[in-house]
Amino acid sequence: MKRFTRRDVLSMTTLAAAGTALAACGGSGGGDANGEITGDDITLRFTWWGSDARHKRTQSVIAAFTKAHPNITIKGEFKEWNGYWDSLATTVAANDAPDIIQMDEMYLASYAERGALLDLKTASKHLSTADFDAKSLATGVIDDKQYGVPTGLTVFSLVANTDLLTQYRVTLPDDATWTWDDLKTVGQAVSKASGGKVNGLQSWGFDVGSVNIWARQHGAALYSAEGKVAIPEDVLTSYWQYLLDIAKDGTAPAPSVTVERAGGSVDQSGTATNTAAIGPWWASQLTSVQAASGENLKLLRLPGEAASATPAAYYKPSMFWSVSSRSKYPAEAALFVDYLVNNQEAANVIGVDRGVPANAKIRTAIASSLTGTDKAAADYLDAVEVGDSPRVTPNGASDVEAILKRHTEDVLFARKTPQVASQEFIKELQAAIDAA
Amino acid sequence: MSTISELQRLRTSTSPPRRRHNRAALFFLSPWLVGLVLITAGPVLASLVLSFTDYNLIQQPEFNGLENVQRMFTDDRLHHALGVTFLYVFVSVPLQLACALGLALLLDRGMRGLAFYRSVFYLPSLLGGSVAIAVLWRQVFGADGLINQALSLVGVAGRSWIADPGTALSTLIVLNIWTFGAPMVIFLAGLRQIPTMYYEAAAVDGASRSRQFWNITLPLLSPIIFFNLVLQIIHAFQSFTQAFVVSSGTGGPSDSTMFYTLYLYQRGFHNFDMGYASALAWLLLVIIGIFTALNFWASKRWVFYDD
Amino acid sequence: MTDLAIPAARAETTTRIRTTTPLRSVAKHAGLILLALVMLYPVLWMVVSSLRPNEEIFRSPGLALDNLRISNYAEGWNALQSPFGHYLLNSAIVVTGCVLGNLISCSMAAYAFARLEFTAKKVLFAIMLGTVMLPIHVIIVPQYILFSQFGWINTFLPLIVPKFLATDAFFVFLMVQFIRGLPRELDEAARIDGAGHPRIFLRIILPLMVPALATTAIFTFIWTWNDFFSQLIYLTDPEKYTVPVALRSYVDATVSTSWGSMFAMSVVSLLPIFLAFLLGQRFLIKGIATTGIK
Repeated sequence: MKRFTRRDVLSMTTLAAAGTALAACGGSGGGDANGEITGDDITLRFTWWGSDARHKRTQSVIAAFTKAHPNITIKGEFKEWNGYWDSLATTVAANDAPDIIQMDEMYLASYAERGALLDLKTASKHLSTADFDAKSLATGVIDDKQYGVPTGLTVFSLVANTDLLTQYRVTLPDDATWTWDDLKTVGQAVSKASGGKVNGLQSWGFDVGSVNIWARQHGAALYSAEGKVAIPEDVLTSYWQYLLDIAKDGTAPAPSVTVERAGGSVDQSGTATNTAAIGPWWASQLTSVQAASGENLKLLRLPGEAASATPAAYYKPSMFWSVSSRSKYPAEAALFVDYLVNNQEAANVIGVDRGVPANAKIRTAIASSLTGTDKAAADYLDAVEVGDSPRVTPNGASDVEAILKRHTEDVLFARKTPQVASQEFIKELQAAIDAA
Repeated sequence: MSTISELQRLRTSTSPPRRRHNRAALFFLSPWLVGLVLITAGPVLASLVLSFTDYNLIQQPEFNGLENVQRMFTDDRLHHALGVTFLYVFVSVPLQLACALGLALLLDRGMRGLAFYRSVFYLPSLLGGSVAIAVLWRQVFGADGLINQALSLVGVAGRSWIADPGTALSTLIVLNIWTFGAPMVIFLAGLRQIPTMYYEAAAVDGASRSRQFWNITLPLLSPIIFFNLVLQIIHAFQSFTQAFVVSSGTGGPSDSTMFYTLYLYQRGFHNFDMGYASALAWLLLVIIGIFTALNFWASKRWVFYDD
Repeated sequence: MTDLAIPAARAETTTRIRTTTPLRSVAKHAGLILLALVMLYPVLWMVVSSLRPNEEIFRSPGLALDNLRISNYAEGWNALQSPFGHYLLNSAIVVTGCVLGNLISCSMAAYAFARLEFTAKKVLFAIMLGTVMLPIHVIIVPQYILFSQFGWINTFLPLIVPKFLATDAFFVFLMVQFIRGLPRELDEAARIDGAGHPRIFLRIILPLMVPALATTAIFTFIWTWNDFFSQLIYLTDPEKYTVPVALRSYVDATVSTSWGSMFAMSVVSLLPIFLAFLLGQRFLIKGIATTGIK
């Protein structure tokens, strides 16, 4: 009797283990993305990250859509950034992914190239992308397949606190022609005038945007078109040397302060706490930073652009809408995405919460309703000269910002010279891509 | 202490021959056995199997033999994470337990406002892994935090302790000590269990309080001390939430707070390398297992059971 | 037989602490209060911040508060899909289930390990301890698959049912240690009186291990109340969110965070666990002496 029980236990556990392994390979949803929209009652799951303000807007968009399509129920599942990716990875692994997924540029290839996302071109009947300009649409394309439709666009920029500049009697040079040295000079002047209470610059080195810009101004790119790490070592070395210099001469805060602020939220940054006169931000973050700062902030163009052969600035998709490749209702999911990106009513609710709309027609339509910092960000986006967007982050490189951050820290704390850091960064990032 | 040795003698002499109670045991263990078979075993075995695969969570796992194991030998960041974790375990656990025991003894009995103090000292543990802790810890150890405010009073310029690779781990050790509430409560409960008659007898014998502590409290509390030691070591090896929250998931600055489980989590969820992460988990299991076994082995020398 | 119990006349303070001079007592209290203040600084800061306007939280250091602003509480309460009370209720359901489950299943398993001799006891004990040694992050994916096959995703079942199956080895171990600290004469005496194991367990061991049960209940309560990862993974529908998941809905690294609301709701969600502890610790204090044996 006892022996039997024991064997029973063993076989059951083996079964359970096998079952879990099997579930991972479950087949595709099997729905036809270009098929007819069903009249049956169905439920779609829709997931996004954000904070409470975004949750409210998105819920009301869902309500408006389901009013027009009473047979479709949409269940919104919202998470904050970190939890979002853990949860998404788990559900995808268990073949239980939500149908409509808010996707980030960093993760797009990692999910798409492993077959988790639907090619939205196969749903062209329900999802129109006619009003998008080709450049912005291309940011969601990998191997000719449209894995994501950009929700909105943003662009890397500098934000200056004009109140602080006035207070310390520092004048800005013309931001159409200024150089990185000019930026340093301005920063030094602020740090000096304030006696160290306020720093001229909020340092960077934690965001891929700044690396992309630096590389492109040097005629290079972080990744080649084939998805290899392509930034030359000396370019990266000069990038970190600049950060090291501004930390050393007090233009930027001491390394530990820089790192602490970079690890915090938007509200804890130098710009938001009015302890740094100029800081690097995505233009779309202006509203958030402004709300926290309470002083007058202004978007500036990047230094060094005038000397660059082609504009280094570029449109970054703030996020994408993607559909799970295993969705049972790909056509209906595509229909909902179509509503999100093409419907005027939806656009009015969403506003610029997910970036300035990438849909050109919608962007024009909502432009007049924008005010304050939202308008400033949209105007900036229209005015700034941009080059082609860089290649989407390759499969396997989704962790690039963590790698970048660690190397920046190593440089700032003098644990590695900029040169050694460049060598190791390139090696590590390439290894991550190769391993995928 | 004559009282104890007498009791002990009494006990050993009356101890009956041990019988087996398989049926009763099956009854009492049935919930756990069902859970083990239905809920625990499958996922645990699955993770063992996955240790020998290349598994990116999205596609089917592929067997890659001992590749994950080989990789551990050359993975410098893993070795670094092990170092960080060992340092953390062996510094923070003894300190935390000492604080917990000290406070538990102070707060055991015979004092006004006991309930209040106990609750106050437990309050930090309630916050433990809360999302707010990242911000709160910055208010203490950040550039504008409490420590630096105190330092500036005496004219010393501070820095951000939390974001300096040289001190970040220490702030997490302090964080662990700060949340000594759990072992403190267990100590309190253990102290409550020591029959007062022992102390009464000792008092009659004229034993001093420190003698009472060494000869009654410590031996009778030893199962609980042992329990706390074993569990806190296991917990410290698995420490994740605090480092995750405080470093916003990065283990930074410069990997200085890169705990083992944080590294494992990053490999699994950020790099889509769940095969390697599973292998790392089993290595951790072996490491914890060894330390737990050592603990149990050593306990024979110092833990006093009543049975 | 029953008067074998520990002399219940346990006048709290008589024996050990006889001679405390007022001066020493004052010094002790002063030290404890100072320690408490230092330890509570972050908590106090949180309470103060919950009363500040959102944008001032990181601009004004220290604990100074110009004017009380309680609007964060109202805003935070209503900021999410449902009023915050909804998430408190969800957490309460999960917590109640988990506490009950752990009390029943862990005490049973602990009794077996502490008091019974049976085949493969040591191996089973090692397996039990071993199950707490694997980090959840590699278990969660297979477990999710398992629970989704049971159809349990987006219900409270994956959070509660395992507790009824004694998967929290921590508490089993805790109770084993406690039971082993109880004098064996008690159950042996009962056995001579003809009591079986279930009876000994219910009538003698359980009442004696009230401190351990209280500890288990308090810890289960607090840990479940704070547990983020599994609740995040298993509860997908926002209507099912529990407090820790809901609290993180105010926070997002990529956009601005409603810190005021988050701190206010953190304070609100801290209250139940603080109260749970305040009430629960009375049972810790009672101990065996007052519980006695019938």
